[in-house]
Amino acid sequence: MSRLGAVFAREARLAWSGGGGPAGPAAFFLAAITLAPLAIGPSPELLAAAGPGLMGFAALLSVLQSAERLYGDDFSDGTLDLYALSPMGLSLLCLAKTLGQGIATLWPLPVIALLGGLMYGVPLQPSMMLAAALAAAIPALVLLAGFAGALAAGVRRSGLLIALIAAPMMVPVLIFAAGAGRAGFEGDERALANLVLTLAVSLGAIALAPFGIAAAVKSRLG
Amino acid sequence: MLAMTTALAEFPSLVALSPQTLEATGLSLSRGGLRLVERLDLALAPSGALLLVGPNGTGKTTLLRALAGLVRPDAGAVAIGDQPAGQVAADTLGWLGHADGLKPNETLRHALRFWADMHGTPRTAILPLMRVMGIEALIDRPAGQLSRGQQRRAGLVRVALANRPLWLLDEPAGPLDGAGRDRLAELVAWHRSRGGGVIAATHQTLDWPGAAMLDLGMYR
Repeated sequence: MSRLGAVFAREARLAWSGGGGPAGPAAFFLAAITLAPLAIGPSPELLAAAGPGLMGFAALLSVLQSAERLYGDDFSDGTLDLYALSPMGLSLLCLAKTLGQGIATLWPLPVIALLGGLMYGVPLQPSMMLAAALAAAIPALVLLAGFAGALAAGVRRSGLLIALIAAPMMVPVLIFAAGAGRAGFEGDERALANLVLTLAVSLGAIALAPFGIAAAVKSRLG
Repeated sequence: MLAMTTALAEFPSLVALSPQTLEATGLSLSRGGLRLVERLDLALAPSGALLLVGPNGTGKTTLLRALAGLVRPDAGAVAIGDQPAGQVAADTLGWLGHADGLKPNETLRHALRFWADMHGTPRTAILPLMRVMGIEALIDRPAGQLSRGQQRRAGLVRVALANRPLWLLDEPAGPLDGAGRDRLAELVAWHRSRGGGVIAATHQTLDWPGAAMLDLGMYR
């Protein structure tokens, strides 16, 4: 258990000191939701209706945008060899590593989504529902991105490969998380159901993705 | 005076190693469709040292990776003790690849503490081992600010910290200067005196007493 904590803490620390930590994904997310209204048009009703879905989508893209670093750097600097040979099971290590990096870099997204919702004219309660759904979606999103990142580690232009692999797998998370915000806005009682489904997908990803990531890492090293 | 301090380098007292043998039988390896090693047998006894030599591209690195269970051989098997290497590698191997496994923004203090914790070695062993390799003054420097040779020394400290009976080292002396090679020899001698074995791929002549030599150029 202490090893699990050590990996989690190290990866979170490296994400902070390495590439600006949460600044990258946060800036990407902020830029996307600030620019979207300029394209959609100034109608307040339209913006409020589109807000939750748009923010779910922008969050997914900002997770993908930072996915290349998850395993690519470790592959080239030899860390992945050492992790594969560490006395801790590789699956568990990959879980701690991915969540450590993911949470350290992506924690601002729900906060920005809450403020963004208000900015788009979505009332406070649905905005909070959307933020909660995004927070629930982050483990699933980052583990799927990690799986794709591990498969593409050391490949040139791995960003492209990651987007192609991870985007289809992220579809259910996007539907449930954005659905929670949308249903909240429409006053539909299915908002809570969507939130719970988002959590379920995240739990499923926590249970299954580490094995996939570990297998991908092993095959990339071999 | 300097030579004196090196000769009397103080090694930390770590939990005793449980010496292991490593044995490869009928090993065939290829890379990118090119056969590198054919039906290779090798064995390493506790306290033994084996140097893998041969021109570039003869498969030294691939062989080391296969011994560590990172690469699956085309044929043959690697055993550590009486178990397949893949199953026990994590508990028996200290690994130094061609990259040092350091993070440019992480200080040596943080990195080595992490690896000590991972391997259950007390953190108090870090400084003595850094002193042995002559890099104790760099402990608060991020790895990215170190020279290649200093990074290599840090990588060797990490290997020693793992406190594992079998060391697999890929070009351990590559970027090291003369003094660094002496310190490496001392580190290896300490490891062997504790019953540990070493296999190193190298282009340098490493003057390790009693080390066997395997020329992979002959297997082409």
